[in-house]
Amino acid sequence: MDISAFVLFWAAIFTSNILLTNFLGMCSYLSVSRELESALGLGTAVIFVLTVTAALNWVVYHYLLVPFGIVYLQFIVFIIVIAAFVQFLELLIERYAPALYYTLGIFLPLITVNCAIFGVSLFMIIRDYNFLQSVAFGAGSGIGWLLAILMLAGIRRKLKEKLVPIGLRGAGISLIITGIMALGFVGFSGIVQIQ
Amino acid sequence: MQPGVITLGGFLGTDKRDFTQIIADDEKTLEKCGKTAEEIAERLEYFQQQSFDAFESNTIVDNKYKVETEVVRGYLPCPFNHQGIYRKSYTTVTNLQSGKSFTFSALNIHLIRAHHFFEGKKSHFRLEPDEVIKELF
Amino acid sequence: MMLQRIVTDILLMSGIGVVLAFIMVIAQRWLSNYGEVNLNINSKRDMKVTGGNSLLATLSDSQIFIPSACGGRGSCGACKCKVIDGGGPLLPTERPLLTKAEQADSIRLACQVKVKSDINIQIPEDIFNIRRFNTVIEEIVDYTYDIKGIVFKLQNGETIDFKAGQYVQLETVPYAKVKQKVVRAYSISSKPELNDRIQLIIRLVPEGICTTWVHKFLKVGDKVSFTGPYGDFYLRDTDADILFVAGGSGKAPIKSMLEHLQEVGTKRKMTYFFGARTTKDLYLTDEFRVFEKHFDDFSYVPVLSHASPEENWDGKTGFVMPYFKDAIRDPKNTEAYLCGSPGMISAVTKSLIEYGLSEEKIYYDSFG
Repeated sequence: MDISAFVLFWAAIFTSNILLTNFLGMCSYLSVSRELESALGLGTAVIFVLTVTAALNWVVYHYLLVPFGIVYLQFIVFIIVIAAFVQFLELLIERYAPALYYTLGIFLPLITVNCAIFGVSLFMIIRDYNFLQSVAFGAGSGIGWLLAILMLAGIRRKLKEKLVPIGLRGAGISLIITGIMALGFVGFSGIVQIQ
Repeated sequence: MQPGVITLGGFLGTDKRDFTQIIADDEKTLEKCGKTAEEIAERLEYFQQQSFDAFESNTIVDNKYKVETEVVRGYLPCPFNHQGIYRKSYTTVTNLQSGKSFTFSALNIHLIRAHHFFEGKKSHFRLEPDEVIKELF
Repeated sequence: MMLQRIVTDILLMSGIGVVLAFIMVIAQRWLSNYGEVNLNINSKRDMKVTGGNSLLATLSDSQIFIPSACGGRGSCGACKCKVIDGGGPLLPTERPLLTKAEQADSIRLACQVKVKSDINIQIPEDIFNIRRFNTVIEEIVDYTYDIKGIVFKLQNGETIDFKAGQYVQLETVPYAKVKQKVVRAYSISSKPELNDRIQLIIRLVPEGICTTWVHKFLKVGDKVSFTGPYGDFYLRDTDADILFVAGGSGKAPIKSMLEHLQEVGTKRKMTYFFGARTTKDLYLTDEFRVFEKHFDDFSYVPVLSHASPEENWDGKTGFVMPYFKDAIRDPKNTEAYLCGSPGMISAVTKSLIEYGLSEEKIYYDSFG
């Protein structure tokens, strides 16, 4: 892919927002968007984990899976790497930043099963990004995800005081709102195309 | 929510509905009666305060209601995992004209205000929103 | 060829898994192992403890029990203690339960602070006395329709050292629909001189997990554990006159104090106002009448607030407060011991101060 890492970074936030164009990472997006504070906590953790796992998985793929010809096992290997890294991160934060651990800690296990993380690792392979592009794409996707969950959390806070038809309460109205937000993001897509 | 975790009978009583459904159904009733959960919580708290001001003994409020509170040792946490704990106080308000009476705890007031939760049918401290509105306002 | 491929791929996969697992094990060893750390209490006692657990758990492993009502969930705020250094930064889970003054005074919640390095803490000396006791129920008596007196006999020849008026925390075992252990506080109603057993007076509370267990499920011979003694509500050793005010199960600590005074002997002038609703709520009346004969100057005054005409109650009625006047000889030389609900305590305290008692001499155990 001949596209600069810088452009890719901004593209991942706006034109190809991982959540609003690919609808990845929906489960935690829907369940942790009730309050702004926790949405911010989870979003920050996602940015960090996404960036680092994109880098780790790129190295694992190009220096382990390709040379040994076990590319077909990438799904399993990527998931194991992500899970191990999240675990490791949890231990590290608990030891050196206990205050951060209590704000972030409960969200870390949630990230292991966040499809956006796995999705980014797969996209960078499919689109054949180089290392720098992968890291930029990872970080951009993370920021894009944070942006999306913060917007939903903000809207849901306003929504609490409003009357919503009973059948639509909870996940229903959130999905409709997400759909409208996604439509809004289509407006960015003319600027740059990365897929 | 379940029996034996915070209180002996739990908060759901014999209700088979999910608690979100209980809340939604009660909100419908509230809408019909034209009062909000906050207004009800406000009203219940008013009675509780009147009773605390009278040192928990029998007192007549607004010439219409007999209010009495009993406090026992200890506190209860909110089942929705909120910070904070609520004193184990049980306030009984009787409408002297109709003779109808309601008993609620300090935790009930919080549950109604913050969660619009009136507890499940047949739960020990279930309050029927329409009856409360009819008798206590 | 095919087989070789399968075998190498499997080996590679397992290799990756093993390497990652190995990294994790090493990380765990290195990151979660805090080794032995030094726990210093009140700049006096030094203890070697294994790091990594909460302060509350570490202390209770060392048989030091800090009161905790919620069992370490960080919701009750009962386990406050002073951490001089080594406690790490104040955590977001603690902040809502600590006042500004407490935060400035390095007060922390023992259940949230993790012991990771050498730590200096300060706790009241009395806490060293607190232990966990295994007991067998020796006797259950019905005092009223909703109040029972229960005697717990300590096992293995253990004895408990407490001050009359202190309380213990009873631990329930899971029963019926209740799946978890709960811990509840009750005042000791027997005298400290009887140190191989204690009596608790427990009133049935609607929907109460522990009181229902005690009233409906406990039988003589059952094994029960409690920790204690806790509390700073105890009889002060002075010559001042005493006013006791307590209703319902609040009679427990007063009974302990009077039995203790009977044991050591006293010339103090004492009056006990027992507030109740109806004659159905009166209990141990004869026992307290015996105290009247035994002490030089003690009177037991039950006051009923809701006595109905059918009950033929010829004693005092209404609130207890108006009757204090006759019982107070010299307000400056009178102590008051109150046990009851927060409403009752504040009403009585207010009235006593109006009668001229000084606030420092009004001791109370509030249910709140």
